Amino acid sequence: MQLPDMDKPEAAAREVRLVYADGSARTVYVTETEEPFPEGRLIVSRTDLQGIITNANDAFVEMSGWAREDLIGAPQNILRHPDIPKVTFKGLWDDLAAGKKWHGYLKNLRKDGSFYWVYATAVPNVRNGQVVGYTSVRRKPSRTRIAEVIPVYAQLLAEENAAP
Amino acid sequence: MTLNFLIAPDFAPENFAGWHMLNTTLQRRSGIGLHLLTPATAREQNELVESGQADLIYANPFDAVSMIRTHGYIPFARPAHHYDEMVIATGAASEFSRVEDLKPGCRIALTENKDVRLIGLRLLEPADLTEASISWVPVDSYQAAARMAIKGEVDAAFFLASSHASFTRMTRSQLRVLVESAISNIYHVVLAHPRVAGDLPGISEALLGVQAQPGDGDALEALGLPGGFESMTQEDAEFMIDLMDTLLD
Repeated sequence: MQLPDMDKPEAAAREVRLVYADGSARTVYVTETEEPFPEGRLIVSRTDLQGIITNANDAFVEMSGWAREDLIGAPQNILRHPDIPKVTFKGLWDDLAAGKKWHGYLKNLRKDGSFYWVYATAVPNVRNGQVVGYTSVRRKPSRTRIAEVIPVYAQLLAEENAAP
Repeated sequence: MTLNFLIAPDFAPENFAGWHMLNTTLQRRSGIGLHLLTPATAREQNELVESGQADLIYANPFDAVSMIRTHGYIPFARPAHHYDEMVIATGAASEFSRVEDLKPGCRIALTENKDVRLIGLRLLEPADLTEASISWVPVDSYQAAARMAIKGEVDAAFFLASSHASFTRMTRSQLRVLVESAISNIYHVVLAHPRVAGDLPGISEALLGVQAQPGDGDALEALGLPGGFESMTQEDAEFMIDLMDTLLD
């Protein structure tokens, strides 16, 4: 599914052309505004095997900035922030495809271009021995760990952008 | 034939009578004999489950994982609008005002309730606290945990949110909540062993119907589950189990 380009926000924003693994592309505008993680909550969503969102809890909807009806049926990468290197998502999908649990720190993009950090865990949904989809749960992250991953992600991103 | 109905040992003492009221109601309406099993500890509960004595179980979500996936119990009901949430609180006189104020080596009181422990550990991650970096102080009850927090004998304590809410106003005023979970996806479940699948429709109908007749409200209030019970599917339970799996590490 092709995600539409973002509307350019009135606030100062960086324009980035995101190209996804399936070859589709989308222009996003990112700001430096961080939305705090909601205290005590978990941000939960489920996708089908193609990464299409099938279920989202209220915290997911609220933090995304999108309406629920916009999210259900949209690809999970509607949340993808250009500051997270592609290799991170490749690792996520490779682990899930291998039937493994994946953990990682992610900066997620909101509809208005702002962002929020999470500690995400994704697991395959195994029913009668078959993987039928994936559940992703995000919780409030440690700021210490985020401070550690920011330069790592920046380095990986620089390497990706420098690659021919 | 009489079926054994095991109640997880994590309910508040004041709800004990409520379980007997519910049990009596279920027997009368389903025509099936039910014998209540109320183990005092998680270990007693496990012995009853492992020895195959539990036909029906009101299970803690943490324990429900193995009951469903290992023992094959069938989930069929859950409390309506009643989730398992937890509270991390400190004494009102303490210097801490948010989770991030707690430091490695801090002393935290907790009961043996596993889902409270699991959720609490996840809520402490923003403070860079792990299971190994906390000095745990086991206690027998939430009341004991509250006393220790109020006296400053521990830096914080874990509570089942419903237990925290049931404290007297005086006790709550002497505690400061650092964080309260609002997950809304984790709850107790009512399970049936596959060997009693033939009795399940009658039991389920009786349980889900407890809110329609005069007196039902009193029983549900006594249970601390005023919304009664609602049906749940195997997939509902599998979804909760997947979610809990993400919280294990």
